[in-house]
Amino acid sequence: MNKDLREEALKLTPFHSRTSLACRTNTWYRWAGYTVVAEYSTTELEYTATRNGTSVMDLTPMYKYDIKGERAKQFMNYLVTRDLSKMKDNTVAYVIWCNEDGKVVDDGTVFCMNQNEFKLCCAVRMLTWLKDSAEGFEVDIKEVTDETAALSVQGPTSCSTLKNYGASDVETLKPFEMKKYSIDGYEVLVSRTGFTGDLGYELWTDPKNAEAMWDSLMEAGKHLKIRPMGMYGLEMVRIEAGFIQTGTDFVSSEHALRPVRMRSPYEIGMGWLVHLNKEDYFVGKRTLIKEKENSTTERVLVGLDIDGDKPAHGAVVYNKKKEDIGIVTAAIWSPTLKRNIAIASLKRPYGVKIKEDIFVEIYHPEELEYRKIWATCKVVKRQFYTPERRNAVPAEVY
Amino acid sequence: MSKIYDVIIIGGGHNALVCANILSKKNKKVLICEARDECGGLLTNQLTNFIPGLHKNVTSSIDAISTNLRSIKSIALSETGQHLKLSGNKNEDQKTLEGFSAEDADNFLALEKKLSLFSKTLGAFMQSSPPRIMTNSFSDNFKIFKLGLNVRLFGKKNFNEFARMIGLNVADELEDNFKNPLLQGLIAHDSITGSNLGPRSPGTLINLLYRMATYDNSIFGGIKQNEGGVISIIKALENNIIKRGVEIRKSTAVKKCIIKNDRVEGVELDNGELIEAKTVISSADPKSTYFCLLGTEHLDTDFKRKVKHYRAKGRVAKLSLKLKKIPEFKGLDQSDLSQRLVVAPSIDYIEENFNFSKFENLSKDPILEISIPSIYDNSLCDEDMHVMNVQIQYAPYDVRGGWENKSAECINSVLSTIEKYAPDIKACVERQEFISPNDIEKDFNVSGGHWHHGEIQIDQLFMLRPIPGAAQYKTPLHGFYMCGAGTHPGGGMTGIPGKNAANTVLKDL
Repeated sequence: MNKDLREEALKLTPFHSRTSLACRTNTWYRWAGYTVVAEYSTTELEYTATRNGTSVMDLTPMYKYDIKGERAKQFMNYLVTRDLSKMKDNTVAYVIWCNEDGKVVDDGTVFCMNQNEFKLCCAVRMLTWLKDSAEGFEVDIKEVTDETAALSVQGPTSCSTLKNYGASDVETLKPFEMKKYSIDGYEVLVSRTGFTGDLGYELWTDPKNAEAMWDSLMEAGKHLKIRPMGMYGLEMVRIEAGFIQTGTDFVSSEHALRPVRMRSPYEIGMGWLVHLNKEDYFVGKRTLIKEKENSTTERVLVGLDIDGDKPAHGAVVYNKKKEDIGIVTAAIWSPTLKRNIAIASLKRPYGVKIKEDIFVEIYHPEELEYRKIWATCKVVKRQFYTPERRNAVPAEVY
Repeated sequence: MSKIYDVIIIGGGHNALVCANILSKKNKKVLICEARDECGGLLTNQLTNFIPGLHKNVTSSIDAISTNLRSIKSIALSETGQHLKLSGNKNEDQKTLEGFSAEDADNFLALEKKLSLFSKTLGAFMQSSPPRIMTNSFSDNFKIFKLGLNVRLFGKKNFNEFARMIGLNVADELEDNFKNPLLQGLIAHDSITGSNLGPRSPGTLINLLYRMATYDNSIFGGIKQNEGGVISIIKALENNIIKRGVEIRKSTAVKKCIIKNDRVEGVELDNGELIEAKTVISSADPKSTYFCLLGTEHLDTDFKRKVKHYRAKGRVAKLSLKLKKIPEFKGLDQSDLSQRLVVAPSIDYIEENFNFSKFENLSKDPILEISIPSIYDNSLCDEDMHVMNVQIQYAPYDVRGGWENKSAECINSVLSTIEKYAPDIKACVERQEFISPNDIEKDFNVSGGHWHHGEIQIDQLFMLRPIPGAAQYKTPLHGFYMCGAGTHPGGGMTGIPGKNAANTVLKDL
């Protein structure tokens, strides 16, 4: 019996031969049926690569779908709350989609290959939802998660790394644009997107090119402080950027058993993605119009700037009367900002009209004891960290 | 766009005609678009000839229609010739049943009394639009309260009985009460006709109650029938509404509804013509209504899932025979032949049939309801030939092998089965016409070919019909309503869906 049972339990990504070699800690993370690296060496180092050099992350496990057909655009516009009717070829859009009660199912990115061909990339398995939604649209929907290898290349030197790699004019790409490159004889789709809040790109290719792509990138970034990053590092940068994660900051309405746990876009800071004046109907529109008209939104997702330096993981949020007004969904000590930050879901009007006298109760573990910290906090914008280079065109080249 | 109407009704079935009548009485300008060249929808097919006509609560709110009801007997055929003939007249029936078992006769009256009480309570609930649940509306809550109160007023004994029976299978109740297999078979037959349930399936007793309620309790044994047939009622309805100024355009199929800003603006016909109206009512079945007429791009995903899963696969076929002469049935005299003849000699016979249909197969010994309408309606005699209509129960929509290959086999089984009771049937047949559920789907634009526009079962009844969230004749779209058999209280020729829909529309207009 020489069979490695791990391979049976979890799928290996096409980068596995490279990531497993680079992973000194042997710390793995289970993600959507795949195993990916949680920490290569030190999470802080990997985080630092994203903020000061280039980090490379394997995001193959992201669910990916191809949506094709003459009415593909109409379907995408019906599926998501954002108005995609004017979406141009070779652009990407960040979107959310809701159920009939106007509760968020998931968030993700839509790639417009051409007007009849789209890709959707998201965190939650969505095939049934897509197929049921597509009833009557005559579009062809196919899951291509296993057929697409994906890497995220992020950080201030990421543009230079990609130029060295062979994407010659990549600095001209604007945020949420994409372009196909032919490099070393294979095709790579490069989109200026990411989950780090920094300058960065995502690379999509056929799994058979994965290893060659990894090797060339590492070579290209050799003098540009390139380093692979694991899932723990990603969690740090995404909190700094204020990006939300399904299952962490809110529960998908397709997964929540208790209706009170489902969240409308307005309750997770995604109201800006809801275009109620969109000409066509979209799933949940009628309910969302009512929610807006009757102001029945119950919660709000805010950023908290917390006193002290102890991260408020899972902390309960209180008002001055010590009433429970919400919970922290994600928290870190931000090394770049030197601030103790958190994302929290609060009951309105707290966090909207009442922003004063808000406290969190942090249970800080200290050698088998918890120290209870009663910390005051400020309600701030969730986007804690947005460097100018993130959206600069042309992108910074070193 | 052409001339503006207040209301456009898609389809010209009896519910649409009733709906148009009530709307036109309130001076609404109504247009009916019927795809076929005649009104009446599925009724023109005469799937069954045993319909008493519109419910009395409906006839009282529309223009008068003269009907002439006559009682007809239900005859449960037996291969031995010892048939069971029930007239609906209690004394007569009791005597008939005593011939087999005195206990049966006593229990027959007791059961009828009990079920009538329950069906009347249900019947009252069926007269108006079903309440929405979990709302703060007084009228909705009052309706639920009233139903609850009425059930509670049964008294402790009957209340317990009602609670016991609500999910019961009809076979258990019949076997508890009767010994005569013909009697068991006849009532079991009436509990399952048109449905995808066998007598031993849970919930069939409520089906029986439901049918009793829609047919004004007359189904238990005897049944009433309009002398001119259902077609005469359709014709009268048509004439009445034309007098009221309703426009009926026949051979006019609607392609789809025109929708702007989540509001219905009118309809587009197959020929491309646009007709404007702020209110459109569909009498089509739920699947055709939502998926074809409305368009799925106006509906939420969850809603589409519910419509998709709405169960509407027909299980009834019809064989129409032209007869050179009327065949001779063993043990039946001439007057019996104008009655309702049922081939369902026992509960097991029906259940075995159901087993075949469960797996999409056909039985060699089908369940039949036979009528020879040309005996009492000479106008049906074509070239001196009589007409025999045979309704075949459990003819699955998705029959294995497909209906194009299976209909000959089905016809053969039907004729061989009739032969057991009327040995000369095959010699009498001059021509035959077979209508499968697939034919019903195609000819009448009824998705699934279900003659009730969808299963009548507890999960598709009351405030769940056709689907929760759109069960009060309304749809998610402003100005778009439904009035067909796919809405509360369902199929049969009651006209109640049409009436309730009209009242809902009038409230909104």
